[in-house]
Amino acid sequence: MAILICLSTELVSVDAADDLSRPSPTGMSLERAVMCEYIEDYAPHHQAVVFSIEVGKISCFTSFIGIRSSTYTLHKWYRRDELVTSKRLTLKPPSWSTYSSIQLREADKGPWRVEILDNRNQLMKTLRFSVTD
Amino acid sequence: MSMNALISFLTTIRWQDIVDVVLNSYILFRLYVLFRGTNVIRVVAGLALLWIFQRLAAGMGLIVTSWAMQGIIAGAALIIIIVFRNEIRNVLQAKNIRAILWGFPDKSARAPIDSIVEGVYDLARKRTGALIVIPGKEDIDEVVQGGVRWQGLVSREMLMSIFWSGNPVHDGAAVMSGDRIARVGTILPLSHRDDLPGKYGTRHRAAVGLTEQSDAMVIVVSEERGEVIVVKNSDIIPIQDNLALKRQLRTHLGIESELDEAHTRRESMELGMAAAVCFLCMAGVWFSFARGLETLTSLEVPLEYVNRDSRMQILSASDNTVRLHLSGSGALISSLKPDQVKVKLDLDNAVNGENVFTISHDNIAMPPGVRLNRIEPSQVKVVLDFPITKEIPIQVDWVGTLPEGLILKTVRLNPEVVPITGVGKILNNIRTLYTEKVQMENLRSSGQMTVGLALSPASLKIAGGFKDRVEITYIIGKRQG
Repeated sequence: MAILICLSTELVSVDAADDLSRPSPTGMSLERAVMCEYIEDYAPHHQAVVFSIEVGKISCFTSFIGIRSSTYTLHKWYRRDELVTSKRLTLKPPSWSTYSSIQLREADKGPWRVEILDNRNQLMKTLRFSVTD
Repeated sequence: MSMNALISFLTTIRWQDIVDVVLNSYILFRLYVLFRGTNVIRVVAGLALLWIFQRLAAGMGLIVTSWAMQGIIAGAALIIIIVFRNEIRNVLQAKNIRAILWGFPDKSARAPIDSIVEGVYDLARKRTGALIVIPGKEDIDEVVQGGVRWQGLVSREMLMSIFWSGNPVHDGAAVMSGDRIARVGTILPLSHRDDLPGKYGTRHRAAVGLTEQSDAMVIVVSEERGEVIVVKNSDIIPIQDNLALKRQLRTHLGIESELDEAHTRRESMELGMAAAVCFLCMAGVWFSFARGLETLTSLEVPLEYVNRDSRMQILSASDNTVRLHLSGSGALISSLKPDQVKVKLDLDNAVNGENVFTISHDNIAMPPGVRLNRIEPSQVKVVLDFPITKEIPIQVDWVGTLPEGLILKTVRLNPEVVPITGVGKILNNIRTLYTEKVQMENLRSSGQMTVGLALSPASLKIAGGFKDRVEITYIIGKRQG
């Protein structure tokens, strides 16, 4: 596979509220979900919808609120509707931020999407972006 | 050939074959009717014989003999046209279309036999020399020379006046044509025979000379003895009386008594036989060409689907074409066109999902006379599905790179989703509808653009009156840090 997944989970501050977050039946809701070039100081940097492969690595940053008990979220990475990887990320109450990343290679150019799902496999949000030259 | 094989053979005969044989038999028969009695028929028969030998030689593998015969036939065909051009011209020019297409030559056409006989015997009684040419089937224009165009109706008086010694043209021959004297004072070729009796002079020698080179009959009246002779086919026939002359004329002109039923029967029988021979010849030629050579071929034929439920769509088929292995006569197979063979699958009873169809003779339409030996593949799987409509989100397919230091921060689309109609099996697997590729090299600041949607596969359709274009509003910012 041309993609290397670098996955890390860490607590980050939840500052900027992103647009739509679909409340989960578990009670938690997705407060923010963005694609960015890197995470620094618990915050996403260089948020964008198009990434050059020269960036080398991109991340999907998500933050949740209203978490009642320890649970998890799924980040499913698709390239042109083809599932490339699926990562399970732990969430802890009451609010939690986490992210997943991929290493970019030449063959990764094209349209991508990341589906963010709750522990019941319910789709909470889809982030769409492209990887270009 | 067994009865079954015969019935099988008869069922493969097409109406075109029957028309082919009958039409060509009639053409051959007409040629026989028009040219019978002339040397053309004999030479053509000889050519036909040569052709049969050539085919036999080719069949036996005698390559050089076959080539030589082919050359002879080709040369002979040309020679026939040159040598018999006058006969051919006479048939084509002198007769009207009706006579050429279906008339029978009327041999008794106004032949003034009685006038000729009376005139000849008047000339004989008065010891007036005369030379009267009655042409046969062959044209004699090339053989005789000179003369004066006359075109007078034949009568006793006319003959007397032509051969009257005071007439400037009395020395030559009078050439008949139907009921007229066509030319007078004509010079005939002299025979070089040395066995002619000494009593015969130049006039007799000329008569023999002409009959040596044509099928004409010449009546000679001797000036010295007042005797009448007829010369035909180089034979000198002394004529005793007017009845004998009349018989000779009738025989030469093919005129028999109207009461001569035997002759009429003979004539009908001859024509009937000729018609039968023509038919058999053509049937033989047709059989050797059209039926004799069994040829195999195979055709790649596209599958055609009929009676499909209009709500259903063909999602996939295991094969789009089938290969048909066919056989038939060489001529039939070589004239076979791909659009004459069709393979149709009836989808009347097809169900949603996978359907397996067995292709048989019933599914195949092809010209009569062509036999189907094998079908590959004999079964075809066809998957049918009902079309559904689904709302699918649109995503921009960006390509290229932004200028240095810029970053494409957000994109909004209008519309964000479009309803798409397509077969369920395809549409259920489609989660995103992409735009055409959008180049980013020239994007330097935020803005708007409209791009088309890339529908794939092409069977997908945009529903609900939506256009196949989407408006993109993009925000470009400067890269920080």
